[in-house]
Amino acid sequence: MLSIQNVTYSYGDKEILHDITATVNDGDFCAILGPNGCGKTTLLRCIANLTKPKEGSITINDTPVSTLPPRIMAQNIAFVMQHPQTDIDFSAFETVLMGRNPYQRRLQNESEQDWSIVEQCMRQTNTWHLRLSTPSQMSGGELQRVMIARALAQQTPILLLDEPTSNLDIAHQFEIMELLRDINHKKGKTILIVVHDLNLALRYCPETMLLHDTKLIYKGPTREALTPERIHEVFEVEASIMDDYLKIDKV
Amino acid sequence: MKAPSNHKSHTVILSLALAILTVLAMFLCATMGVVDLDMKTLFQTPIFWNLRLPRVCLVVIVGAALSVCGTTYQAVFRNPLTDPYVLGISSGASLGAALAILMGLEAHLFGIGSMALVSALLTILLIFKVASIGNRMHTTSLLLTGVCLTFLITAVISLLMALHHDKMESIIFWTMGSFASASWMDVWIVLPIVILGIAVVLYYSRDLNLLLTGSETAQSLGVDVEKVRRRLLFFTTLMVAFCVSACGVIGFVGLVVPHCVRLLIGSDNRRIVPLSIFAGALFLLLCDTMARTLIPPNELPVGSITSLVGAPMFIYLLYKSKRKL
Repeated sequence: MLSIQNVTYSYGDKEILHDITATVNDGDFCAILGPNGCGKTTLLRCIANLTKPKEGSITINDTPVSTLPPRIMAQNIAFVMQHPQTDIDFSAFETVLMGRNPYQRRLQNESEQDWSIVEQCMRQTNTWHLRLSTPSQMSGGELQRVMIARALAQQTPILLLDEPTSNLDIAHQFEIMELLRDINHKKGKTILIVVHDLNLALRYCPETMLLHDTKLIYKGPTREALTPERIHEVFEVEASIMDDYLKIDKV
Repeated sequence: MKAPSNHKSHTVILSLALAILTVLAMFLCATMGVVDLDMKTLFQTPIFWNLRLPRVCLVVIVGAALSVCGTTYQAVFRNPLTDPYVLGISSGASLGAALAILMGLEAHLFGIGSMALVSALLTILLIFKVASIGNRMHTTSLLLTGVCLTFLITAVISLLMALHHDKMESIIFWTMGSFASASWMDVWIVLPIVILGIAVVLYYSRDLNLLLTGSETAQSLGVDVEKVRRRLLFFTTLMVAFCVSACGVIGFVGLVVPHCVRLLIGSDNRRIVPLSIFAGALFLLLCDTMARTLIPPNELPVGSITSLVGAPMFIYLLYKSKRKL
């Protein structure tokens, strides 16, 4: 269980997150929604212990993440970042193999087990055929899938993703979301994902955390989170629900 | 895909072969020189035992150290243009040496070398102090501090030389780097530090790969980025300081040997680090032997030979690998 308790974060004088409290249960598939600059990425970074909140704490099964060494963190939380590195020369296979780092000892080579886990994760994300390609030879969608494969190779109970669909066309957006839903269903992995497309969240993520102006204003089922009134308040657009879809217009 | 076990044993076998090659090359280079004697007589002279042998040993040690440091810096700073001297250690050492020369300490056994070492170590302390924010080290600040300090110290050395024309030549010669005065003492001083430093880099060689993906990614993949970076920088700068103090500034080895190895075997640092030990050693051995045998009885500055030989070699490799893409 991932628990966020009274987390406040500020950058200089500017408050980014204000007193956020929420619980994410094991096996949840939860979207983090909110307008640009409302602190979604910062929240993920706090959860991944890449930065420390000014106040409050984040715990996994009652252990504060700030007390966990990086190696143990990497066995518990995998983080797919917003902008994958494209200027490095490692093949997709080598990249995914890095996901096994938290389980490897120094001076020791990868075990047969590491290799088979990598192959399995790459097949699952449909990237096995790309294993010898470098980032510069891959398309945005392919690279994103490789990054997801690396996160899967970490075999963590919790997976964080920061806008994994933002640079992808609609078909690839669906492909990534289906993949995540599949992982969530079959492996019971807890997934927290920042998305911008409200309809993607509505379609795939049963749970939602809605952030607005540094505060968490709703945590619960996505269907109940995304009411026309709340969407108007947060995103300042008019929305109406038609056959389970949101129709969105400018004000 | 290659089987996992092959990968490591390939590197081990290749490293062993290169190690044997290096020892043979050292022996061969030690037999060559201005004084041309047949083998049997040569082995009975102090020229072989007390001049040439310590010299080739020091050359090999420094070559290995510089190229391992270059490999480490290029990964830690994620910048292909960094070389072992980028943090200003070399200029720090040069200042110490220049002061020693001005104070007339040349005649002392450890005069120049120890002054150079002390001022190199002080430079390291200063840079680390400036670039640390709390207990975190910011790599860009570190690089910029190093570059600025290099300019500052170089300016001071220029001023010193302008004010002391008579000593100008010996200061310039020291900064160009040379193994001409190598002794067993130098070897015994530099060797332990280099062995220790290389061992530390080998120990963290997988972390170097992860650091290349960015510090946040490395952290999220389980690397204790601050700790690893601090240790790597500490031990590599120490190696550089000792090397520079022993033989002056020898450019190009630390910048280009890692790249050559990378072009030949790919970007996995677990292979680059062990192979660059021997690539650096062999390359510098070749250059130093050329420096002392090409125009006998004079000696050419080894630093210019490294560039003269290395630059075309590197451009060729770069050109060839571009065509492969």
